[in-house]
Amino acid sequence: MRPSRPLTVKLLRDLWRLRAQAVAIALVMAAGVGMVVMSYGMIRSLEATREAYYARYALADLWAPLRRAPDSLTRELRQVPGVAGVESRVSAHATLDIAGVAEPVSARIHSLPADLNRLVLRSGRLPREGRADEVVASELFVKAARLSLGDRLPALVHGKRIELRLVGTALSPEYVYSVAPGQIFPDNRRFGVLWMAREPLSAALDMRDGFNEALVRLAPGALAAETIRRIDLLTAPYGASGAFGRDLLVSDRFVTSEIDQLRTIVEILPPIFLGVAAFLLNILLARLVDTEREVIGLLKAFGYRSAAIVRHYAMLAVLLSVGGVLLGWGLGAWMGRGVAGMYQEFYTFPFLNFVGGADIYLGAGGLALLSVVLGAAGSVWRAQRLTPAEAMRPPAPAAYSRTGLTDRIVRALPDEPSRMILRGLFRRPWRTMASVAGLAAALGLYVASASSTDNVERMIDLTFVRGQRADLSLTFAEPRDARVQRELLTLPGVQRVELWRGVPAELENGPYRSRESVLGLPRGATLMRLVTLDGAVIEPPPRGALISGQLARKLGVGAGDSIAVRVTEGDRQSFTLPIAQVIDVPLGASVVVERGELARLLREGDVASGAYVMAEPGKLDVLYAALKQTPMVAGVTVASAALRGIRETIAQSMGIVTLFNTVFSVLIVVGVTYTAARISLSERARDLASMRVLGFRKGEAGFVLVGELALTALASLPLGLMLGVAISRYIAASFSSDLFLIPAAVSAKTLAQGVFVVALSAGATAWLIRRSADRLDLVRALKTRE
Amino acid sequence: MAEGAAIYRTLGLTKSYGEGAAAVHALRGVDLTVHEGEMLVLLGPSGSGKSTLLNILGGLDSATSGQAWFRDLEITALDSDGLTEYRRRSIGFVFQFYNLIASLTARENVQLITDIAESPMTPEEALALVGLEDRLDHFPAQLSGGEQQRVAIARAIAKRPEVLLCDEPTGALDSKTGARVLAALDTINREVGTTVFIITHNAVIADMADEVIRFADGGIASHSRNAVRKSPVELAW
Repeated sequence: MRPSRPLTVKLLRDLWRLRAQAVAIALVMAAGVGMVVMSYGMIRSLEATREAYYARYALADLWAPLRRAPDSLTRELRQVPGVAGVESRVSAHATLDIAGVAEPVSARIHSLPADLNRLVLRSGRLPREGRADEVVASELFVKAARLSLGDRLPALVHGKRIELRLVGTALSPEYVYSVAPGQIFPDNRRFGVLWMAREPLSAALDMRDGFNEALVRLAPGALAAETIRRIDLLTAPYGASGAFGRDLLVSDRFVTSEIDQLRTIVEILPPIFLGVAAFLLNILLARLVDTEREVIGLLKAFGYRSAAIVRHYAMLAVLLSVGGVLLGWGLGAWMGRGVAGMYQEFYTFPFLNFVGGADIYLGAGGLALLSVVLGAAGSVWRAQRLTPAEAMRPPAPAAYSRTGLTDRIVRALPDEPSRMILRGLFRRPWRTMASVAGLAAALGLYVASASSTDNVERMIDLTFVRGQRADLSLTFAEPRDARVQRELLTLPGVQRVELWRGVPAELENGPYRSRESVLGLPRGATLMRLVTLDGAVIEPPPRGALISGQLARKLGVGAGDSIAVRVTEGDRQSFTLPIAQVIDVPLGASVVVERGELARLLREGDVASGAYVMAEPGKLDVLYAALKQTPMVAGVTVASAALRGIRETIAQSMGIVTLFNTVFSVLIVVGVTYTAARISLSERARDLASMRVLGFRKGEAGFVLVGELALTALASLPLGLMLGVAISRYIAASFSSDLFLIPAAVSAKTLAQGVFVVALSAGATAWLIRRSADRLDLVRALKTRE
Repeated sequence: MAEGAAIYRTLGLTKSYGEGAAAVHALRGVDLTVHEGEMLVLLGPSGSGKSTLLNILGGLDSATSGQAWFRDLEITALDSDGLTEYRRRSIGFVFQFYNLIASLTARENVQLITDIAESPMTPEEALALVGLEDRLDHFPAQLSGGEQQRVAIARAIAKRPEVLLCDEPTGALDSKTGARVLAALDTINREVGTTVFIITHNAVIADMADEVIRFADGGIASHSRNAVRKSPVELAW
């Protein structure tokens, strides 16, 4: 049946009349649709880009670092079943002395790749044959350290000073996300990756005709675990610490965790937005059907079929949401492009195009439509069920009763306007609850997103303020005798030194394994303390180990159990380690043993892998200069710089997300309050007009409307704050990885801001509605039949 | 019966909607004097201007030109806030569709007014005047149409207004219920001394008035006084 013309005209007029509410619904819906398009599109883009990048630039499948092996070992490795290709390379840690960067800069230097882990040259050129000093460096590092092609880079490699010269910048699939060893946030100014010809690098490391890292490409269908086992057998004699796959490549782990985070976002946010949109549509249509009873009766009396009525209101619902879907598509594409640009800065992909794909757009639109159908179903159903006679009779006054607990509360109120407010809210408990829930969701969303900064600040406080209080963390090129402590104390500006020992090891409990670094810390340390998520300082026990909750779960052990430890460097000791306590520490340190105890277990003397150093106030720069000249130090981590790196990273990645979410939560608050208030104004128009005619002043009559709004907003506050804390916890937990734990710490300030945002947007809406209420045509409101 | 002091005076009161050729003239220069304590019935077909006059006198609408005084107060000179204060202090309204607040009981509907009035009756007194002393705690939905209208009257008179303006108060009621509502208005006029205006299509009601004003085409067509006021129970339609 062709839609009838008058109904089409009515449809368009209704749409025009409801435009303000339509805009509110469209905006909320657009946020949901946009989130779906952006997140799924971004997940797909990231996955596709990663795959294409890895394939095109031949990222290795396995890494097998070792101390030193003859080139002939590569031939043996090629024979391992499942291995399709092997490339050896030389890698080293270095300390660079860069003009303009006060702190010593850590670097990872690799020999230039041939077939695996190929570079994407971004500027300049690759080092020429026979030019021993030429290097290319990672692009972000060059930018952050403000280097130019041709710059000299004095470096300390393996205790030797060599002069390098920058000839090009590059990207590598191995360093999509590049962080210094032991760090989890990038600090591109103080950590860089360099590639240079193999010959001079080998010379600096005294590794002619040898290599210290094998890159392996697996044959299709090869079992990684089995291949790793065989490779480890072959490389063990050469001081290998054990081969690993892409799953342990820090760069790839971060990209994976980013994709997981996007999935978390899709799980939480769009359902909130689409649910709220459905609710708004629901109350809007319910009210429309109420006010149009007579029209519906008339149409039916004239012979319009129920189907035509259903179609009319269903079309209205769909048209009301079309704008939201279109806007959402646009918003999603726009946000997607923005986020892609951000990712490209943060994760260095040579290309990253936001590709949504028609299915994602249609899927998001479909989800929105589903919420529309759910929201509209009840009202549309009621509209078609009305018989003409019933519809044309004026509805009886809304039924209220004086029984029940709620009315006892109402009767306790001193004045009639307050009773009107409360009885109105109690009479439609579902709608009231939905309004409260909608506002609570918005507040929760705001609190959850704004608290991400709180969580990170808490992490920083736990880790850097209470835990790691050293100014510098040094890593020695080789393990040193503990007498190094005295040596370090003689460096200018050094106030206090505490040594640490770290060994890579394979931990095992039955079928469960994990590769971790076992950290030996002194008891009574002040520069590096273990601080748990709830702020407790934990000392390494005299016997046994502290292990992180994450690792305990991974290995299926608890306090009192023991794990088998196989050290993968040096003399490769094996021992059983009892677990003294399981602790949750935000950053780093998954297995900690008292340093003396670790020495006993390793059957070695008093040896250190590095040191935590506290400098005399104001003497850091002198110390930096000295460290740049100290060959035994292979790596320097500057606490303040790491901290700055974390803050910048968070500011960059969280800032934009928080901004979006803030805008979105304001959208929901305005959408919910505006629609609810609009409906309430339409329902109460007669009451308000009555009050005005009876001599109530504008403010006194408006109180009923504004009071209802205020009460709803007020009721949503505790719920919204609790929801916010819960979502924040959930997000913190799902964003936590085996690399770091995010504590959930919503600050009072964030909670207060959330309340302020809700209050402000509810207040603005109340003001708007008050204005409409003030302009009520009294005579018309009173003389029309309800 | 001796005439009281003038409570309303109008001079050339006009009201028109729209402009130029499309203008609709609802009132075309009405001159009228109403004395306090009277019962007036305004008769006339739809669109004859009686409701417009009542709305202007009640401070719900403004005139296009001309003047209207309530005692010494020139209501045509008041702004919106002034009109609100005027309504609040002096005027009671009763409409065809009761306009009770559905979420308030009979008593609470009346209390709505007694809370803001200067020297009101108690809600119970007001409801007793209209014969609803035993329906105090009923919600509008639990009352019949006539009862709802009587609550509306009780609400209008509870603040002891000087004037009660009723626009088709029996329009939605059957004759028996209508008579009870009119009886309530009659009681208020006689016992409290409130000046009562009743707009109606029903000419029979004119018999209970002191004064009957007939409207046609936006003006007063005739003006007459009843020598004897009939009691509402004697009316039959």
